[in-house]
Amino acid sequence: MLALLDAWFIAPFDYGFMRRAVVGGLALSLAAPTLGVFLVLRGMSLIGDAMAHAILPGVALGFLLAGFSLPVMSIGGVLFGVMVALLAGAVSKMGGQREDAAMASFFIISLAAGVMLISIGGSSVDLTHVLFGSILAINSTALLLIAGMSTLIVLTLAVIFRALVVECLDPLFLRGQSRRSGWVHSVFLGLLVLNLTAGFQTLGTLMAVGLMMLPATSARFWSKRLEGLIGIAVALAMIASTGGLLLSFHLDIPSGPSIILLAGSGYLLSALFGRYHSLAARWRRKTAPLSAEPSA
Amino acid sequence: MSRRSLSRLQLHDLHLAQGHRTVLEHVEGDFQPGAITALIGANGAGKSTLIQAIMGELRPMSGKVVCTVPKERRAWLPQQLALDLSFPMSVEELVMTGSWPSHGALKGYCAAHYRKGREIMARLGISHLAHRPLGELSGGQRQRALIGRTLMQEAELLLLDEPFANVDSETVDILIRILRQMADDGATLILVLHDMDHLQRLADEVLMLNGGHGRWMSPSALTHQHAPAQVVPFTLGGRHAGTA
Repeated sequence: MLALLDAWFIAPFDYGFMRRAVVGGLALSLAAPTLGVFLVLRGMSLIGDAMAHAILPGVALGFLLAGFSLPVMSIGGVLFGVMVALLAGAVSKMGGQREDAAMASFFIISLAAGVMLISIGGSSVDLTHVLFGSILAINSTALLLIAGMSTLIVLTLAVIFRALVVECLDPLFLRGQSRRSGWVHSVFLGLLVLNLTAGFQTLGTLMAVGLMMLPATSARFWSKRLEGLIGIAVALAMIASTGGLLLSFHLDIPSGPSIILLAGSGYLLSALFGRYHSLAARWRRKTAPLSAEPSA
Repeated sequence: MSRRSLSRLQLHDLHLAQGHRTVLEHVEGDFQPGAITALIGANGAGKSTLIQAIMGELRPMSGKVVCTVPKERRAWLPQQLALDLSFPMSVEELVMTGSWPSHGALKGYCAAHYRKGREIMARLGISHLAHRPLGELSGGQRQRALIGRTLMQEAELLLLDEPFANVDSETVDILIRILRQMADDGATLILVLHDMDHLQRLADEVLMLNGGHGRWMSPSALTHQHAPAQVVPFTLGGRHAGTA
């Protein structure tokens, strides 16, 4: 039994790349779900997905220029992500189209452009790595980059936390209160791009958004308080990223999908058995009025 | 003209449009400190458009809005439906966000802020709800919490869009008392109202929007001038049924 546990949970970490991947995953798990909670609360759940596609051409260009170098690919990704966000904002300001519509148009263009660029310069293996992640590629530079970005995201979130909360609840109030209200939104989108870029190495560009959204959407079934939502989402993300890496190692599948599928199972379980709004909660609610006093 | 120099919000020959459609023309106005103005008019008469212009969200086609109240002391309370009330925030947290103008977004709240917040909640009769999430409140309780925020903000210009919609009669009484107090303290209040009873209890002046124009009148003139049949459109709907 112990041998089995060791083989499953301890032995994989004899490998340096697994240790680095797990540390990177834990760092991401601190930053990504927090952003996700705010995305969900702002009703922008799909924007994360759109932005994830938007960084792909930048990543691909970085890949064409410098090969599989995470710093170059990351810079490309951040630049492209910010550019698409600005373009989408500009188009929606011109009137006629809401920001999400503009974003939807740009992200699908970006996805196509990114896939095309990688196909020109690399093999289908490279494409799979960029789209779905590859833990083998995480060297110490990559790890530093991921940890650095996550730290920056968490610190920035701490600084703009209150402004972000107010903007989620009542954007008009925030706009009335300060001229800086615009930058809260921009900084938030910037953090989003940063986080997706940090995530694409382990998770892949298409999957990075999963670690952001799934723990956040799952947490809604467990807590009604903001602190609770963030805490639970972070914990779920940590479990999913570590467990997913182990699955990926043992079953020889790409790390991105296995992490996200694990997080996805967490979501389904939460929807079934969570404390609030889940199927189980609904069932409990239905039966409650039948007994006059809940049997303690 | 001395009266005009006192006022903190003036509308000069205002022409407002949404897209290519003119909504209001030649609106003149003069809102005194300490006065409560009721803004009335049928749906689509331009009430929201005028509020947008006053808050600086909509640029007039011509004419101008002159407002000497600093931006952070202006409060606009939209109809409740405009807010995401499933947001995980407690009553106290909501009230505390009103302290923004006095100390910015980055600094933490100090004991004095919390004391003030508790005083305000006590005045509004929502102390017992301080830690309740917004999503679990009734319409009236929520409205009191939102007014609490504007009190925290020490708003000098307060625009309220149908503050008494979906609100119980106890809340209406409390809010009327508090709004009157705010006016007595020198704030300028503008309320979109649909209910003649509320209007009579609270308003000092009435600005009626009709056919693209604004018309000023006194609350008593409004009831005298209009046969009940004409007043009815503003009171219809039975949505204020709970009010005494």
